[in-house]
Amino acid sequence: MAQFLNKLESPGGNLRRIVSVLALLAFLSIVTGGILYVSFLQKAAVSEADHQAVNRIRIVARHLSNSLSENERPVKTLAGMARIVRALENTDIQATEEANLILDHFQKTLSADVCYLIDVTGLTIASSNRFFRDTFVGQNFGFRPYFQKAMEGNTATYLALGSVSEKRGVYSSHPVMGSEGALVGVAVIKASVEPLENSLSSRPEETVLVADPNGVVFISSKKQWLFKTLWPLGERETDMVRDSQQFGAGPWPWIGFRKTDSAGTVELDGARFLMHEEPIRFFPGWTAFYIQDEKAIFQRVSGNLFRVTGVVVITTIVLVGLLVFLLYTRALLEINRRMMAESALRQSEERYRAIYHNTPAMLHSINSMGLLVSVSDHWVKALQYEAGQVIGRPLADFMTLSSAKYLMDTMMPEFLRTGECVDVPYQFIKRNGEVMDVLLSAIADRDDAGNFVRSLAVSVDITEQKKAREALKQAQEKLSQHSRELERQVIRRTEEISSILKYTPNLVYIKDTAGRYIMINRRYEEIFGIRNEDVRGKTQHECMPKEYADAFQEVDLRVLEEKKPIHSEYIVRHDNEDHIHLSVKFPIYDEQGAIHAIGGISTDVTELKKTQEALRHLSNRMIISQEAERQAIARELHDELGQILTVLRMDAVWLRNRLKDADAATRERASAMCELIDKTIEDVRGIAVRLRPGVLDDLGLVDALEWYTSDFERRTGITCIFEHHNVPILGNTISTAAYRIAQEALTNVVRHAATDRADVSLFFEQGEFVLVITDSGVGYDASLMEASDGLGIAGMRERAMLAGGHLEVEAGSGKGSRIIFRVRVPGANKEI
Amino acid sequence: MIRVLLADDHVIVRAGLRRIIEESEDIKVIVEASNGREAIDFTLEHCPDVAVIDISMPGIDGLEVVSRLHAELPDLPLLILTMHEEEQYVVRAIEAGAMGYMTKKSAPEQLVAAIRKLHSGSRFLTEEAAELLALRVSRWSKGGSLLDSLSKRELQVLRHLASGHTNREIAESYHISIKTVDTYRGRLLKKLNLRNNADLSRFAIQNNLMGP
Repeated sequence: MAQFLNKLESPGGNLRRIVSVLALLAFLSIVTGGILYVSFLQKAAVSEADHQAVNRIRIVARHLSNSLSENERPVKTLAGMARIVRALENTDIQATEEANLILDHFQKTLSADVCYLIDVTGLTIASSNRFFRDTFVGQNFGFRPYFQKAMEGNTATYLALGSVSEKRGVYSSHPVMGSEGALVGVAVIKASVEPLENSLSSRPEETVLVADPNGVVFISSKKQWLFKTLWPLGERETDMVRDSQQFGAGPWPWIGFRKTDSAGTVELDGARFLMHEEPIRFFPGWTAFYIQDEKAIFQRVSGNLFRVTGVVVITTIVLVGLLVFLLYTRALLEINRRMMAESALRQSEERYRAIYHNTPAMLHSINSMGLLVSVSDHWVKALQYEAGQVIGRPLADFMTLSSAKYLMDTMMPEFLRTGECVDVPYQFIKRNGEVMDVLLSAIADRDDAGNFVRSLAVSVDITEQKKAREALKQAQEKLSQHSRELERQVIRRTEEISSILKYTPNLVYIKDTAGRYIMINRRYEEIFGIRNEDVRGKTQHECMPKEYADAFQEVDLRVLEEKKPIHSEYIVRHDNEDHIHLSVKFPIYDEQGAIHAIGGISTDVTELKKTQEALRHLSNRMIISQEAERQAIARELHDELGQILTVLRMDAVWLRNRLKDADAATRERASAMCELIDKTIEDVRGIAVRLRPGVLDDLGLVDALEWYTSDFERRTGITCIFEHHNVPILGNTISTAAYRIAQEALTNVVRHAATDRADVSLFFEQGEFVLVITDSGVGYDASLMEASDGLGIAGMRERAMLAGGHLEVEAGSGKGSRIIFRVRVPGANKEI
Repeated sequence: MIRVLLADDHVIVRAGLRRIIEESEDIKVIVEASNGREAIDFTLEHCPDVAVIDISMPGIDGLEVVSRLHAELPDLPLLILTMHEEEQYVVRAIEAGAMGYMTKKSAPEQLVAAIRKLHSGSRFLTEEAAELLALRVSRWSKGGSLLDSLSKRELQVLRHLASGHTNREIAESYHISIKTVDTYRGRLLKKLNLRNNADLSRFAIQNNLMGP
């Protein structure tokens, strides 16, 4: 089975693997697409940034160029003013003072840093900052290129770090021409670069800077880069810079930019920056740089991207993922369904095959030619062939001649026409030649076009059935013979029973549960003067005097209720006399175990009863007279003889006392006489008490038993506990009976119980006086002892009955014994 | 002179008793009765100082006589003189009101002394009878259910145990086995829900069982 499942599993596993791979591929392509899309966006963003940067740097460069050159025109104007010229031509104080006022005016108007005048020697003669500590007046700026250029007659603009003020400035200079057309000095306006610098950039991720031809940064939106170099400086270049005094004394360290493979990109401390440059017009060699952090660009781009497209992209990916998962699940379900269907089909096939071969029925199929195309294992086995020996052979080969003929001539054409046949009797021949009776049923299996393909036939072996039917028939015959025999026996037995019923001196009758007579016997008819035919079907109330019927019915009901035989006594008057009938009534059960009738047998025990009664009477009289006699003798002995002996003793004592002074022999004789009399009194008392104790007659049962148990204890050494409770005044009969029973029972204890303990108790409860004698001894088989009456139990019983009570004996081997005497005392009072 | 009534149905017994009594100087039989009826009538008629009465008499028996006389004349000392030695009689006689109990067997030796004792206002009882009397008295006075549950023998054994007697001594005094005494002791402890002899002593004293 496991192998079978594995075979099913592998194609399913392949499919599953394919689906999984497809799902994975779909997911990967989506992810790849996403990644490509993001990187494309980034590239676009970079190129956009690039483009923006080019534009921006152009604007910046133009703005710088314009801004830096903005004082060229004013300085020309300044240089042309007559008072300025005069101040340079004449060195008197007034001229200088006037020039100073103009310089102040220019400085204020242009918001320039400083305006000043230099004479041909390079010495500053007037300046707007003349009152400040770092005044230029008296300073020589002859070394400055802007001075030298102006002295050549040109307007110049120069960028440098002020040698006095230590402030960066844009120096615009112009030559001042004297009245004779000779050059008399130079006018200079120095503007601060800081306002310009502050207007360059507001964003932290971009930097705008201006560097001289050597790469020394002069203006920068990032202050820390000022006076540092973009690229490493060579020694010669460093010297040149130092010599020009343009940027102070140095040093000018390298910021650390390095070129990278891709154009327009530099690297600093591992970060990549986009760098664009633009030459500044009118300032040959000076270049404006625009530097952007590439990461910042990406962030900006991706920030925007995700803000805008991220949701769409992620949603798409999730949706596609879900879709893939859904499709995958569906595909798996489909695969499972197909697999199950396939497996079910295969199982069903297997089952069919198994059923076909394992069914204990002979199954076969033939084609339209009557040739066997398939047979079940059971078919082969039943006919005792080997599988493979039969396929392709005509079915008729396995039949008796008559069956084969019947098949070919009659049934086959019929079957081909109708397509079915039911319970057709054939005879197959087994390989060993035995004939097998079968009933064959078949249906035709046709193709879609309705052509006969093969038959599906089942043959039932009825050989055994036939035999069984035969056996059944025989058994039935035997049975009927047996039942005839039984019937004969019943008749005979009935005859016997009828005779018994007829001649028995007992009364026999059967009644149904409703009390209707079914049968009474002849004796019954005689006694009650009724006839069987007359009473049948009638109730006893319809056939009997009411007092009989009532009494009978009461017992009948008890039998029905208790479902067991019940003994009862009836007094029936016939032959002018009351007769005692001992009757046993018993339930009669039907075959279902329900009571359907009550049977009864009554025996006339009048004579027996009379005899018993006479015997009991005799026995009682004997007991009574014996008791009376004992009492009389005891009293006689005790009172008469005892009294006489007592008096005798008095006299003997008197004599003995009188003989005190006589001789020793006389004295001794007198003493011996006294002793003898004492002993005789004791003996007489003993005899009397054992015959019947005076206590019983004088003081009653309780005192008598109290005395007896004490005496018993003393004589035997057996502890005897006497208890009494609530005992009423009892008559002589009951007292005597109880006393004698206790006496007898305790005597048994001494003789048989082998114990050292006995208990006697007397009590009165619910109108009943009870005496119980128990011992903890070895016990005895009560029924056995009663039969032999070694215990005098019959005697005790008789005494109990004589007193109107009864005796119970409980004893079992090893459990000790208990004797209980109960007697009902009507209207008894409790003894005070 | 102590005047005595003698009631017995046997003439020879009366004669014998009279001889014993009249041996003494100070006691005199003033009247004899031969049955219960006469005993009552003669007593009421002659008013003796002491009445000596037999139990077994025809008609009204001696116990009944004692009972009736005790009711009529509570101060009259009544002595039962009988053949019966069983203690059951003793108990009944004392319950009926007798001041003394004596068997005829002991009459020659003790009758005179007994009459004198009764006349002087004391009881005359054997030791055993005195004990029984004590037990009965305590039982009446208490009327307790615990005491009611005890049999006479149990009460006897209780008294002895409470007095410090050993099992052997008790066995000897009642002619029973030591084992029997132990059985009674076990029953006492169980019935009274006590643990030992000391408890029994305390119980006996508390319930006034120790007697006179």
